[in-house]
Amino acid sequence: MNPALAGVALAVVLGAVVAGSARNARTAALGLIVAMVGGSFLADPLPGSIGLAARVVGSVLGGYLLWIASRGTEARTGGSRLGWPVELLIAAAAAIVGYGSHGLGAPAGGPALAQAAGFALAALAVAPLLNGHDVLRIGIGLHLLVGGAILVRTALAGTPDALEQLVIAGLVATLGGVVATVAAAARADGTEGFDLALAAGERPRRPPDAHPLEPR
Amino acid sequence: MSLAVYLVVAFGFAIGAWVTRGRATPSSLVGIGGLFVATIAALAIDPAEALAVGGGELATTAYLRLFLILGSAVGMGLAIAGLAGATHRDLPAVTLATLGFGALTLGLADPRAAVLTGTAGGLCGALLAVRSGGDRIGATVGIRDLRAVVVAGTLAAVAAAWIGRDLQQLDAPPIVFGLAYLAVAVAVAIRFGAIPFHVWAARLTEAVPEAGLPVVTVLAAAPFAIVGLGWADSSIAPLLVDLGAERGVILASAVASIVLAALAALVQDDVEHVVAYSIVGDAGVALLALVALEPDAWGPARTWILALVVARSAFAAWAGGLRVAFRTGRIVELRGWIVRSPLLAVAFGLIVIASIGVPGMAAFEARSSLAALAVDGPMAMLVVIGTLAPIVYYGRLLSVGLGRPDGPREPEVEWRPRVGRLDLTALGDWWRTTWDTNRAFTGAMVAALLGLLALATSAGAFGGPEAAAGLAPGGVVPITTAAPSGSAPPPLPQPSAEPSFLPLPTE
Repeated sequence: MNPALAGVALAVVLGAVVAGSARNARTAALGLIVAMVGGSFLADPLPGSIGLAARVVGSVLGGYLLWIASRGTEARTGGSRLGWPVELLIAAAAAIVGYGSHGLGAPAGGPALAQAAGFALAALAVAPLLNGHDVLRIGIGLHLLVGGAILVRTALAGTPDALEQLVIAGLVATLGGVVATVAAAARADGTEGFDLALAAGERPRRPPDAHPLEPR
Repeated sequence: MSLAVYLVVAFGFAIGAWVTRGRATPSSLVGIGGLFVATIAALAIDPAEALAVGGGELATTAYLRLFLILGSAVGMGLAIAGLAGATHRDLPAVTLATLGFGALTLGLADPRAAVLTGTAGGLCGALLAVRSGGDRIGATVGIRDLRAVVVAGTLAAVAAAWIGRDLQQLDAPPIVFGLAYLAVAVAVAIRFGAIPFHVWAARLTEAVPEAGLPVVTVLAAAPFAIVGLGWADSSIAPLLVDLGAERGVILASAVASIVLAALAALVQDDVEHVVAYSIVGDAGVALLALVALEPDAWGPARTWILALVVARSAFAAWAGGLRVAFRTGRIVELRGWIVRSPLLAVAFGLIVIASIGVPGMAAFEARSSLAALAVDGPMAMLVVIGTLAPIVYYGRLLSVGLGRPDGPREPEVEWRPRVGRLDLTALGDWWRTTWDTNRAFTGAMVAALLGLLALATSAGAFGGPEAAAGLAPGGVVPITTAAPSGSAPPPLPQPSAEPSFLPLPTE
């Protein structure tokens, strides 16, 4: 096992645990940036400099947009209801499964540590996606899921080429931008922070027909 | 490279329209102007170019070119319809970004990268759910849209990565191929909002204006679906694995979408939901191509998707035109709409013919072919009959339109064009007055023009069926520039190479 790669994988998983469990929105965004930037380096061989730079820029940009949307010390997100130790255990269990099933039935083109970290991120994404009650927490779950999928892809099929690295960077930055815009819209409406307007399964109410969405 | 020009135009104008969104008029001008320039750029695309970029390949095809021409033209129509309805100022920017990502999706040769750009294209649509300023309901709808898009993208990305490598030493039962196929097919079903994954798409109608609906649910999803189809045809179909159960699941989703969406559209109170469910129903037909899982379905599927994009966009523009003219989308309040707005009646007629079709039209034949390829025997005929179910909700809209109007004889907004006396000393005021007076006419005219475009596309004009039967992305010209060592994608399973290490039952 490459110790440097193991260190990066550990940083990725710890960043994801912070992102998934922190209640301070900016702390969660910071954890996410660590996880996404670290994920760019979790490949063997490392991507070329252009691809790597694109990934780092994309990850930082996506995370920074969330950071902007969470401005202010009072910005809170749901965080983990079970607490960070439980999240850490979930991530560790998933990482062991990922490491042990490296290649998923066939010889893999990338490192086992990438698959371990990918499984951990995907496992940490489940709770926010299924049970998230605020826009930012669901958005962080989406980032973790994307990050996990990219790591599993790297583990299975090897280091993506430079063009794919650019595509991944674009995807991560776009996701960050869109989540930040949506989160900011939620936060600007009333005093409930990033909370969803509706419970799961509840239907929203369309504004009256006579009034267009924006004034003429 | 001509595709690069298109990408620069689409993303450049999208960013321009987005950063000027604080001021409605410049933003709309930049956005609609961008869509016009994008249409020109799409027309200028050379359909047989390839460009090696960083170890990957971007290639153009005739289908990509046609998709972008029609998509840009339709997007421009929808943006003007949205402007007439004063609905959402971000619609042109989102449409441009969606088209840019769509161009990348259809141009990338490697499906592993293409599903990622297809996913990125779907993300932009969530922006249409939120209004400028605070909008918690829109944000709730938008984040659920994002969740559907990302989950679908993740499924497809992992499946494409799993199979997109050397599997000669595979040590797993053949069912893993079925799971990979199912992951991609479910991803396509989620993106199209097919039943039972339709809830997020149905909820979008609560927050996204009519003119934006097809951008979010069709224009963004179509390139993703085309990549999924191509992947299944090149990676799964040649393996001859028995996928009866998995195909049955997707068939059930397709048939449920076709039939139940038509029923759902029939019982809705407002035209926005009718539009949304009509898209779900037509998407069910596209899913039949994934059930068929054979090369013969390739052409009809892509022909159908092209017709779906244009026809459903026209239907959405018609719904938007109806709302502008009558200030309501509630069907019970639209009695006599045909009498009150003949131009919308013409648009409606064109859209009905384009989406249902008649034998001999390319879309009609494509739909029949897909049903025949997906289902054997007499069941195929039942599926074909099921695809005609939209007649029922069209009939309801027609009967409401022919009914006696409830309100005053003339609609509140005149449907005919009206131009006041030109005042050269106050051109700005004259333009604003003329535009406001003609909003209903503009909406109806756009719907009629898109209806005409839909009819032509469904009939097979513009070389649609020929382009649809052509090569998949990246299959045009071989790469001439050497890729960097160590970064080339691993070989995909070849169509003729049946793995000898697996006891694969043949169908």
